[in-house]
Amino acid sequence: MAALKLLPQLVAWAALVLVLLRGFPARRSLTAGLCAAGYAAGVAGSLLLFRSLPGSGPFEVVRTLLGGSFLVLWGVSVASLYRSTGRSLPAEPGSVLPLAAGATTLFFALTAGAICACRLPAAGGDSLPLLAPLLLALSGCLLVVAARGCERLLPPAITVTFPGLLAALVSLCLLASSFLIRLDLFSPLSMKVMKGTHDFVHQFMESILIPDHLFVRPAIWGYIGFLFGKEIGFWGGMVIWFTPVLLVILAIRLEMLPKVSHIRQGALRRKLLAAALKERSLRQVIPLFSLFFLAAAAYQSCYPSVEYWDPKPVLVSADAAGEIVIPGKGEVDLQDGKLHKYLFKSGGREARFFVLMTPGGKLSVDLDACAICKPDGYGQAEGTVICYYCKTLIPLDTVGKPGGCNPVPVPFTEKGGAVHLNGISLINAWTSTVQSTTSKKEGAK
Amino acid sequence: MKRMSAALWAALSSRVLPLLVLGFFFLFYIGIAFFSDETLTILIALTSRNPFLAAVLALLPLNSACQIVVQGASYLKRRRAMNGSAPDSAAVLFDETVELPAYPGLAGLESRLAAEGYRTQAGGDFLAAWRGVSLSPARILLLAGTFCLFAGILVSLVGRTVDRQSVIEGMPFPARSGGGGLVERIIFKQVPGWFLANELTMEVAEGGSTRKLGVYPPTLFGGAFVYPRYLGVALGYRFVAPDFPRGYNNSDVFPLYPPGKESVLVVPDSPYKITLSLAKPRDGSDPYKTGRMDFAFKLLKGSDLLFEGSIPAGGEFVRDGVRLAIPEARRMVITDFVVDYGVLLIWGAGLLFTLAALAWLPVRLFFPRREMLFRGGAGVTLACSYAEGRVRKHAGVFHEVLDCIASGKSGRQEDA
Repeated sequence: MAALKLLPQLVAWAALVLVLLRGFPARRSLTAGLCAAGYAAGVAGSLLLFRSLPGSGPFEVVRTLLGGSFLVLWGVSVASLYRSTGRSLPAEPGSVLPLAAGATTLFFALTAGAICACRLPAAGGDSLPLLAPLLLALSGCLLVVAARGCERLLPPAITVTFPGLLAALVSLCLLASSFLIRLDLFSPLSMKVMKGTHDFVHQFMESILIPDHLFVRPAIWGYIGFLFGKEIGFWGGMVIWFTPVLLVILAIRLEMLPKVSHIRQGALRRKLLAAALKERSLRQVIPLFSLFFLAAAAYQSCYPSVEYWDPKPVLVSADAAGEIVIPGKGEVDLQDGKLHKYLFKSGGREARFFVLMTPGGKLSVDLDACAICKPDGYGQAEGTVICYYCKTLIPLDTVGKPGGCNPVPVPFTEKGGAVHLNGISLINAWTSTVQSTTSKKEGAK
Repeated sequence: MKRMSAALWAALSSRVLPLLVLGFFFLFYIGIAFFSDETLTILIALTSRNPFLAAVLALLPLNSACQIVVQGASYLKRRRAMNGSAPDSAAVLFDETVELPAYPGLAGLESRLAAEGYRTQAGGDFLAAWRGVSLSPARILLLAGTFCLFAGILVSLVGRTVDRQSVIEGMPFPARSGGGGLVERIIFKQVPGWFLANELTMEVAEGGSTRKLGVYPPTLFGGAFVYPRYLGVALGYRFVAPDFPRGYNNSDVFPLYPPGKESVLVVPDSPYKITLSLAKPRDGSDPYKTGRMDFAFKLLKGSDLLFEGSIPAGGEFVRDGVRLAIPEARRMVITDFVVDYGVLLIWGAGLLFTLAALAWLPVRLFFPRREMLFRGGAGVTLACSYAEGRVRKHAGVFHEVLDCIASGKSGRQEDA
């Protein structure tokens, strides 16, 4: 079962080796060797990280590597487009320097190894048995051998530029990581885009003194309101996600054709141009595949194959003094580390909240809503809770701390093993949170 | 010194510079995002206070201005080259330059090129041919728009000041200069506009005449833009209770619009709190527009609700020794007085971008510029070609003309 879970990562790894071998054809054996070494080092490095860093630290390290490589891809794609439109940047070398080729190979092999290691069943736990990483490293090396064999079968006409190669490598890593919610980049990106767009539109409107919604036609405000919604986060995220690869493809399409004006035979000119056009088209094949990988990663991020623990809220009531008491043991064990949701109704108003025992052994009582998003609530999975609205993952260790997309904490006391909280405070906290987030999302400035 | 200034000019007018500056700010933004959710606000605050960041941002308008000069100079050079008056600079202005070891003359090319839709100009040993319209003016508009946009952002970031005041009907206008006349009327009414649904007009007496200040575009008054933000009511009120016989008498402003929005008045030195809101009229009208205002209130002593009800403007509520009166209610607009001339530049940028897009799109789609220049002498022909958008058909025509010159047919009129 664990091996099956690793299948997407291993397939992505094999494809990654294939692309690297085609991208650096001068020293195939060396590239293959570096791939195997880098992959094994990535697995071993992750093992070390899991043993030395607490909580989600190792995942953050791998996510930073992925985010960094995506940023580099952005830079390279802009530069390649700039160069191909005839701007005065230093020309791209015909072949990448051996050192740069080696470093690129090693980096992506290491990252791929780390991603695969994060998928191991006990990753993040205290006891990661040694056999699993060993088997993983071995299977990675075997895949390098298999990919080398497959690469020979590919038509030699399919070549790849360095930006195209980078696009394929980054997109394969993103695809492999999208199967792990703690490594996924697309959902956090969408959330950041949503927040960034909200702030930008707000600042822009203030800057050019556009009147508030009191004065503006509701239909126009509806369009402006779209910029504050969840959809803009998704579509903005999609634009940022796909643009670098599209820029790489555009850069290839806009590459200058060879100068043939000095040739006086029309047929020879046409033949040369046709060959250049064909070669240019074939160089787009691998970046086009990258688009497919990125689309698959975005899909996996939006529809993860993870089942969240999301119990139906239990209705609770307050006593005469307005106090809600939830027993620690009984039908529900509050200390089982699972999310326990409750619903409290009073005077026509209601509030949804949950009780959770964090991995640090502390009970936390929080609203089933955060201070930023619409109150769609939270689910629990793999050491985190997830905000259903913006898909942000909140590590269990930080539940109970206010700020950002964390659930809003509610004051409570523990007496005799039970949780006590004030019903009016709870309702007020819910009302003020929901009012502010709902008005924000509906487009009020 | 000359080399240094040339290098400085090359750097400032480089097309890479905006990418580097924007990339720098983008990376800075990402860096801030690791530590705070208020990323943009922090970036704006840092840029407005830090001279280094402001200087980096200033490179953007500076670069646009330099690029306007470069673009303009290039346009003029190209025109001169096509007129045959700047032969030496021709080669660097074109995509492709070829030297053919033959010069049979250019007389036969004019009609050949005319047949392909090119207009020509010949003179002695040179021939220029072109079709379509140059994109340079559209590019200059775009660069001017970019200049205005980033200059506006810079001016706004560094120099913007905002003073929030309440503009109250019947009270002096709180102008920045202090010389505001009386606010004669505040009119809030529905308008069938494409952008605005409601129009707000503040009529201010000024030197014997009345000046009307609207919502958009904001009016400049005493050097500041008048930017109405929220509506509310200025109330005069009196409150007396049996255990608070000395009462409380005051005037204050309350942001009570739209109807139903609550505001809390804490009565000083007493346990009383009054929650006020504009009551929603049963006929569905807007009390702020009609001026017929009723105020819903809740009177609380500590956390106990004593009374709730509604009082019309000018009326009072009396029960069990409690008296709450609202003798006066005036319309009020919470208004920002914004001193920021960057706004004008940003508006200008919007206009220039629109003009650039309107000029660029049809030209690029239907009339892309294509040029050829041929210059001969001493048995050699220099041929240059340039096509905006790299139109391939143009390259084909150019190659055919080169073949024609190489085969010696271009000198004979009848071959055309």
